[in-house]
Amino acid sequence: MQQGSYMLVSRVSRPAVLSSIALILFAVIFLSAAVALADENIEADHVRIRWLTPEQFGENPAEKTIGLYFEVDEEWHVYWRNAGDSGAAPRFAFTSEQLAVGEPLWPYPERLPIAHLTNIGYEGNVAYLFPARLTDKAGERVTLKADLEWLVCKEECIPGFATLTLDRLIGGDSDQWSAQDADILAHFQARLPQASDNSPWRVGSLEFDETAAQLILTLQGPAGLEPTAYPLDGNFVSAAAPEVTETAQGYQLRFNTARGVAAPDKTDFVVVADGAAWAFSNITLSAPATFAVPETQSLLVLLLLAFAGGIILNLMPCVFPVLSIKLFSLIQASGQGAAAHRVREGVMYTAGVLMTFALLGGVFLVLLAGGAAIGWGFQLQSPWVVVGLAVLFWVMALSFIGAFEFGHSLMNLAGRANSRSSFATGVLAVFVAAPCTGPFMGAALGASATLPALPAMAIFLGLGAGLAAPFLLLAVSPGLSALLPRPGPWMETLRQFLAFPLFATVIWLLWVLSRLVGDDGWLIGASLLLLIALAIWLVRSERRWVRAGAWALGLVAILVSVQRLQTLEAPVTATASASAWQPFDTQQIAAAQQKGQAVFIDYTAAWCITCQVNKKLVLDTDEANALFEQHDVLRIRADWTRYDENITQALAALNRNSVPVYVFYPAGGGREILPQILTMDSIRELFNEFSVEPQ
Amino acid sequence: MKIVKCLLGGFAASLMLLSVFASAEAVPGKPAPDFSVKDAAGKTHSLADYKGEWLVLEWFNKDCPYVRKHYGSNNMQSLQEKYTAQGVKWLTIISSAKGKQGYHEPEEALEVGKAHNLAASAPFLLDPSGTMGKAYDAKTTPHMYIINPEGTLVYAGAIDDNDSANPAVIPDSKNYVAAALDEVLAGKPVSTPATRPYGCTIKY
Repeated sequence: MQQGSYMLVSRVSRPAVLSSIALILFAVIFLSAAVALADENIEADHVRIRWLTPEQFGENPAEKTIGLYFEVDEEWHVYWRNAGDSGAAPRFAFTSEQLAVGEPLWPYPERLPIAHLTNIGYEGNVAYLFPARLTDKAGERVTLKADLEWLVCKEECIPGFATLTLDRLIGGDSDQWSAQDADILAHFQARLPQASDNSPWRVGSLEFDETAAQLILTLQGPAGLEPTAYPLDGNFVSAAAPEVTETAQGYQLRFNTARGVAAPDKTDFVVVADGAAWAFSNITLSAPATFAVPETQSLLVLLLLAFAGGIILNLMPCVFPVLSIKLFSLIQASGQGAAAHRVREGVMYTAGVLMTFALLGGVFLVLLAGGAAIGWGFQLQSPWVVVGLAVLFWVMALSFIGAFEFGHSLMNLAGRANSRSSFATGVLAVFVAAPCTGPFMGAALGASATLPALPAMAIFLGLGAGLAAPFLLLAVSPGLSALLPRPGPWMETLRQFLAFPLFATVIWLLWVLSRLVGDDGWLIGASLLLLIALAIWLVRSERRWVRAGAWALGLVAILVSVQRLQTLEAPVTATASASAWQPFDTQQIAAAQQKGQAVFIDYTAAWCITCQVNKKLVLDTDEANALFEQHDVLRIRADWTRYDENITQALAALNRNSVPVYVFYPAGGGREILPQILTMDSIRELFNEFSVEPQ
Repeated sequence: MKIVKCLLGGFAASLMLLSVFASAEAVPGKPAPDFSVKDAAGKTHSLADYKGEWLVLEWFNKDCPYVRKHYGSNNMQSLQEKYTAQGVKWLTIISSAKGKQGYHEPEEALEVGKAHNLAASAPFLLDPSGTMGKAYDAKTTPHMYIINPEGTLVYAGAIDDNDSANPAVIPDSKNYVAAALDEVLAGKPVSTPATRPYGCTIKY
């Protein structure tokens, strides 16, 4: 019949002037079809529709639930409110004097794969339910008219239009349902989404990853009951099933989104698990932000961050002394060919830095590809690397202060003015930079773990380029070189002074070692340094046998300490129970969130300088503690000094693989990632921004 | 020096690779996917043929109720007439596979076009292999795309904002395609560059 009406219209409507007449004509035909179908129940193509109401309406209570029951042929389906990639939700319009009918209540649906698309709807029978209320005008009867439009599909779709009428008596105290309809009603009422408070989960966060065009919903709560979720917004969120992964704190659901459609501020989901559904409405989308810069940014932004992070590395106490030596060699270069010499030095140094970063990046990516759950800074989770660095800084410091002059020492190599030495300085600069993850680097390095190999490598090289850039610029620019101070005795004084930051670094590395392997680690490390100093002193002897003995002493000292370190047990984590900070425990966190307690997690490590500074200046101050206390915040210190699988996973869920990371979960749900450099203000703001009230 | 060159070279190469991967997706703001498809009269059309012109792509299936909504009401043909009169090119594509609903042999397609008063710039483009449809990630009939003279996609999605199959709703619907075309022809950017298409599944 629709085919007929369409043919009729298309023949008469060629001239554009007639199009509006055609439209009216067409609409009239549709309406007349609809009128013809007006009845208490109707039978249409592949679907039968009838009322789901009491046989007689009771006077009390005035609030009712009524329904429209769609009995659908096998393999055919009708739609949920968000129909998915194709199809359409049914439409309902009610007219009644005696009954005010509210917005439809949609039982939770299922995903229906249709060819290359995903629809969201119901295969089999479904009852769309409606809240309804008797009005003042309700006397003895209820009359009700419903104008319906629906779409029933298999692969093809058939639209339907109909008007259903209803005429029922009002009387008695309560509604009189037939047993069959009462069962149907109860069945579908049980499938209506409940309030999200009743669900086992809370929304941890909802983030839009613009690069991947994915929306990431984290649900915090118990595991073992895998949920899925249906988006209400079909315009932005793809209908295809989300990728669900279990995390330490619950679940993470990744939805694809429609590329090109602007992300809304808020969106809604119906979460379904084990035959029950909950409505999570008005969830605020946050761009995954940190330090005002979204961490899942375009590659260009990440590269810029890496570059900036690299530049800042130059100022780190561990790197600066090494660079200054290199700088002296530039200052001393003079006379003929000095400019060309400087350029060569700068380029070779840059090559050394980039090569080493490429190698480190390669190792990192290979380990990652091999499935190792590692993060940046992983090199400092190994006691041997820490001991090695301590020895390196110790030797450098002794040399700086003039305790010895090495004929062919590393530092002389670095300071000597030739290409090979410049390359070596570049390599050295990267190694001494290893303990210092500066600001900006976290976001870039975190992303490198999630990116494919090529862009990840680009980020490592970007970091290297940043580290090399200031020195390269100084070397190749004649204008800048001219600004360098004249050589003189001040250089010797400065060099001696620079030994002290290096000594400080040694102290810190020994402390890291003790955190890694316990107090014995400190003793072993310090003894090793003592013996190495002794060996260095001995090696200056005139006698050959003493020199040989010195080498032997150094070698034995290293071997013995490595062997001893191996036997050491990891210390019991001493995050004191007396302290207000609790060790990382996913169950404790989930439990706190369930009962509506706010949680602050400090992802930290002993080898992370920024972490230690933040701890001393902000987190462990009386004011911060008072604030946390006052708002009943569960404080968690996730100590990543040693490798810890749970913490690595939790960091990965935040798209990070380095520390520090500070996360605040307000009591009311949501999530806030704080900047890597904390201030007291950033803590205060947490409690102004989120009204943290015990629920 | 050699090493530096190698590293810089590798860096540049990786960036270039990235940009290659990024193209060939039907996303507003990105270059439109290329196509080369014969129309029912046997003439081949490709994206390059329309360089320098505004181009509308429309997916069609004569038996789809939503296509009928817009053709039966003459809504689609009116749009085709209105905008081709302003110099916009309009191609209507059938991606139904052989044996599936909406598939036509060329001769039959010419007749269907005539019966539907198709007012596009060419007879139906026949894409029974689905190559063009899949390149554009065309999901439904009608699914609409607008491509600018530089070959960049500026709109992808539904024809309007009402996914009812009832043609009576057309006068009260916001027509996204008409709005976008009016904007671009007036030299303005498209305010709604992407929407969820509605209609029948394309029968690939």
